[in-house]
Parts: sequence; C-alpha cells; structure tokens
Amino acid sequence: MVDNQAGGKRHVDAIVIGAGPAGLCGAIAIAESIGDGTKVLVVDEGIEPGGQLPKQTHKFFGHEGFYASVRGFEIGKRLVDKARELGINFLMQTTLAGIYEDSIVAYDRNSNSVSEYTADYILIATGASERFLLFKNNTLPGVYGAGAVQTLMNQYKVMPGKSFLIIGAGNIGLIVAYQLLQAGAKVKAIVEATSKIGGYMVHANKIMRLGIPILLNHTIISALGEDRVEGAIIAQVDGKFKPIPGTEKEIAVDTICLAVGLQPSVELVAQTGAEIKYISELGGYVPVRDENMKTTVNNVYVAGDLSGIEEASTAMIEGYIAGYNIAQKITGKDMSEKITNMKNELVEFRKGPFAAKVREGLKKMGISFPGGGYREEIQQMPSSLSRLKAVIECPQAIPCNPCETSCPTGAINTGGNINGVPQVDYEKCTGCGICVTKCPGLAIFLVQQREEHSIVGIPYEFLPVPEKGSSVKLLDKNGKYVADGQIDRVMINRKEKTHIAFLKVPKGMEGVVRHFEMSTVSEESQAYICRCEEVSRNDVEKLIDSGITDYEEIRRVLRIGMGPCGGKTCRSVVLQIISEKTGVPISESRLGAFRPPVIPLPIDAIVRYAKGVGTDE
Amino acid sequence: MGRLVEHPILDVKSSTSKTHVVFYFEGQPICALPSDTIASALIANGIDIFGFTEHNHARGFFCAIGKCSSCLVEVDGIPNVRSCITPVRDGINVRRQEGRGKPKW
Repeated sequence: MVDNQAGGKRHVDAIVIGAGPAGLCGAIAIAESIGDGTKVLVVDEGIEPGGQLPKQTHKFFGHEGFYASVRGFEIGKRLVDKARELGINFLMQTTLAGIYEDSIVAYDRNSNSVSEYTADYILIATGASERFLLFKNNTLPGVYGAGAVQTLMNQYKVMPGKSFLIIGAGNIGLIVAYQLLQAGAKVKAIVEATSKIGGYMVHANKIMRLGIPILLNHTIISALGEDRVEGAIIAQVDGKFKPIPGTEKEIAVDTICLAVGLQPSVELVAQTGAEIKYISELGGYVPVRDENMKTTVNNVYVAGDLSGIEEASTAMIEGYIAGYNIAQKITGKDMSEKITNMKNELVEFRKGPFAAKVREGLKKMGISFPGGGYREEIQQMPSSLSRLKAVIECPQAIPCNPCETSCPTGAINTGGNINGVPQVDYEKCTGCGICVTKCPGLAIFLVQQREEHSIVGIPYEFLPVPEKGSSVKLLDKNGKYVADGQIDRVMINRKEKTHIAFLKVPKGMEGVVRHFEMSTVSEESQAYICRCEEVSRNDVEKLIDSGITDYEEIRRVLRIGMGPCGGKTCRSVVLQIISEKTGVPISESRLGAFRPPVIPLPIDAIVRYAKGVGTDE
Repeated sequence: MGRLVEHPILDVKSSTSKTHVVFYFEGQPICALPSDTIASALIANGIDIFGFTEHNHARGFFCAIGKCSSCLVEVDGIPNVRSCITPVRDGINVRRQEGRGKPKW
C-alpha cells in the first residue's frame, strides 16, 4: 500500500469490497497473479472475514475444485488462510461508506474514523441482504432473518429460541431448519406460499424424514405477542397468494425465521456510475456486466450474489474470473487460459434446471449460457441386494459430484456432466460407505438384505450418537413411524462428522426406512408405579414388550407388588398397562394371587403369640 | 434462549470458556464471552428487546450482519450502535435505544 501523505489518500492496485467467497477468490486471483498481496486491499464490515461462510455448517455442493463436501465454515477458513498467506491486507469492521469520483471512503468502526483510498481497479462483491416479508407484527423481537438465526446459532453458538416456524422452503429455509434441529431446537413447520418446494429435494428430504411438515400453499398472516413473539397465525393461500378465509391456524412458537430470498446489495456499485438494471430472475436490481464480470465502468468489476443471486460455488468462480481479468490488466500478462478455464466451469455449473432462472436473467444482459445435456434418468433400487450396497436418492439434476469423485472403485458416475443424476454400478460398489459420508445432500444410504432382516445405513449428524444394540423407532421418508428396529452398529466419522447408523429393519422395509428416532424414555414413562420398590412405568413396559405379559411373572421379575404395601397401590395400574399394551381387557387377564399378610406383620407378634406373651391371660 | 452446550458438528468449547467479559445492560451486569457481539451476549442472556421505536414498539435484532439497523443500541451514551456487529468490551454501558437516540446536547 502506498501512503501518499499522512491523513491523505492511500493508493492500492485493487480494492476488493466484501470478504465473502466471491471477494476472497477475487483477491486471491489478483494477488497470486501479480505476485504481491500487499497491493490488494479487502474491506469488509464484518468482525472476521469469510462473509456468510462462517455460519454455514453444512457440506457444500459442487465439485472438489471448489470445496464440495467441505463444510461452509471450513471453506471460509481455507480461503482466508490462503489470502493471508498471500499477504493480502484486510480492513475489517470497516464499512465502505461511499465511492466518490475522486475517492473511496472507508469508515472504521473501531477507530471511529474514516480513511480515503484510490485504486486502479475495484472489485465489488457486497453480496446480498435478506428479503423482508409483510405480515402483521413483522417487526416484533423474535422475527428474525434466516441468516441471522444461522449467525447466532452457528457462529456465536447462541440459540434465539426453542421452537421455530420457518417461512420459505427454498434452500436457505430448508438448510436452517436442518441446522436448528441439529442444535436441538424444535421446528414446528416450514410454510411455503408457492405450490412447490423451491430448494433442492435432497435438502427437503433431510428434514422431511425427521417428520418436519412442509406446508405448501401456506403463508404467515401475523406474528402473535405483545413485546416478543409468542406464536404465529398461518393460513392457506389461493393461486394469487391471497390467504383463504377460514383456513387460519395458530401455531405456538417463540421464533419466526424468514427465509424468503435475497436481494443484491447494489448501493456501492451504483455509486461508481455503473449501470443498474432490474432483472427479477437475478434477484432484483443488479449491475449490468459482461462475461468477464466487468461493469459498464471500465475499472469496476463485480462478482457473487451482487451480480445475481446464486450459489457460493458460482460466487467463487465469478470471483476468480473478475480477479484474473483485473490481474491481466494490472500486469499486462495474458491470463486468458485461466479465465477460459473458469468460464468453462461456470458453463458446467449453470447447465442444470436450478440455474434456468440465472440463465434467463443473464440473457437479458446479453450473456448466454446453455442448458441441458445431463442425465435425468433416476436409477431404481435393485430388488435384490445380498451384500451391502449404496442406494442413491438424488432425484434432481443439481451441480454436484462428490459421490462420483470420492468412490474408490469408480462405481458411481454422474454421466459426464456434474448436473447428471448419479447412478451406481452395482458390480463395482463394495458398500464401503465413503460416498455416504461425502454426499452434501445426505442422500446416499447403504442397504443389505439379510436372511432374517435387512440392514439400512443412514447418514447421521445428530446428538446423541446411538449405541449399538439400542432399540429405535424406524421412520420413513416423511418421518412417519413404520416399525421398531435396532441399531446394528454405528460407523463413526470423527473428522467429517457424518456418521453412518446401521439399522436392523424388518425384511422388505429396506426401501422404506430412511431415518429413526431413539426410543427415548418419556417423562411420563419415568413415573413410578410401585412406590415401595421404585419400579417405573418404563420398567414395566419394557418387560411387557419383551413378551412377559402376566402379572405374576412381572411381579417376580421386577418385585413390583412385593414391597411393604403388598401391591395395594400398584396392582391395578400394572393390570391397566398390561391391558393397554396387549389389548386384553382387565376383566379377562389374570389378576394374580393375594397372599397374606396384607400388611407388614412383625415376626415378633407371631412369636409373642406362640409364647403366649402379650395376650390377655 | 441460551448458549449451545453440545453440537454434532461445531466445537462449542468456547461456550464454556472460563474467560468472561462483563458489561452493563440497563445498569445490570451481563456476563459475555470474549467472542460475543453485544447482540449475541444479550440473547444468550435471554434479552431480546434491544430498544423501542419512537412509537414505542419493541425492537430486537433482525439480520445479524449490520444491514437492517433493527438492533441499534446506545453504548456509553452514543446511540445508533449496531449491536449485531459490535464486539463486547469490558465495562461498556449498553442501553435500550428509544427512537433515534437522544442527542447529547
């Protein structure tokens, strides 16, 4: 950095605004190419660099070259480390307050003072902000943006509430729901105004198999509460998104989480004089730019969500494209090979159906990206799997291929395009489970049909990790209870933290069971039935479940009714539980014997009687 | 509301850190972690009303990344501090902001 004069403007080759994935990759590309990171300055409002990456705990989609299968916070760390190694300067807690004709003004919150910069090139990667939604009481404390909840929960490890309602079933809403459940919160429902889930089906499946309802054609009417959220009123909507009278429903929650989309943060790029255009497919007002990410102002480039709402992977690629272009101009060296490589990456990423909107939006800027050319055919689960094999339930063409690249035997392929629906070559699959732990969508299961039962291996990222042999309730893909089962074993993955829980499931249910619930002891079942011997409802129920349904037998095993009271308190309760569990009416079940003495009778009393002591003579 | 004490993915050791920062909210001492922002410390302590609008409506935080200005508080008499992106410091006096904040003159 060149200090022109004390208190004067400082000059850098390139100033990068925003330290998220796009800005970081742009800065890295410039610094690497010009061989001097100190000539690149990154300015960001946040406390730490990384943009929204530090709050992402899920594994990212894409391919290895752009950190697929790596969790977001880890990607952020790697990019920041790389940037720091290159000597790039960071101005954190600093807001770029304005871009003027002759000066770029930054406000440092820490020192409470501004500083002035000039730069040959500006890369603006200011990202986006969350869209707001209009409903009654939408400003009550407890109504939070989805990103805000992620920041609190995943970055600061603070939970803003206990039970949540999520508005919006796009990827962010679905991901936040899953992350809330991982943190131990309750998610009452996700409501979505349109008639379909907007996010990836694999994200939706992750929460649906936990039993979280996704209410389509629903919206929020009002937040309830005086000074903070105590609930919400939701209602069904018609084809024009108008609430249908009479369908209102009240839901008790303490936090409402808005995940209704993002809008590009265009304030700064607009100040450079660059042309701004409203393109709804890209998220609203966006800067007009060319294939090289150059705006209509010669030395101003953009990348990431600012240039159109998309994914972190494409934000990184756009960052590189902008960065290499800037570096090419600074150094005068030909960087076209690197630029072309990155452009080809974008073409691949944007071929799929989820990129259709982006393709449509970019077309309005005169940039065209081809769609299609990937496999959509979904492979059916083989009817016979005598050995453990991978079963992939990834039904949509999404740009992601770690299953393919992680498979040690080359058994999985996406059909030549990263968007292709993956298929398994069952001759080659060894059932090792590596793909299960790598898949960002947690959409791969291991299945084996055994003689007496089947085995289903499920990716598992919750606490507590179940113990081998424990009884579980088996759930289907909608979180509905289908049968009782058992944990056969758990493959622990300490590094990546996606474990595989192997379940013993009834034969024929290997295609149905997709999650489980620990058979937890409820508070009610911890209640004591027998005061004398301290026997709980759970103790009795477990014994009945094991096949012992006769009162006398239960009494012998648990000593219930054999305490000082002789069963006066507990007998009728036990008989009722037996009846509930077996379906046999109390009147028809064996009552058990009543033996004397009916009270604790001191031996002494008998002895005294026998000796003739104490009786009336 | 409160701090996470266990998590299947994240390291939450910092939540149980022994080093603390103490600051004041409406005169009451608040125990925070050195890594906290004012907003995260308040919510961890069960406080989610950060101020009142000029029409006396309660406001809390909303975006957590310094964009929405819903979480403005007064710190050591200075209003309009974005609590979501301001780290905690020992001994600071934080108050609920009312309206646009009271001028000092």
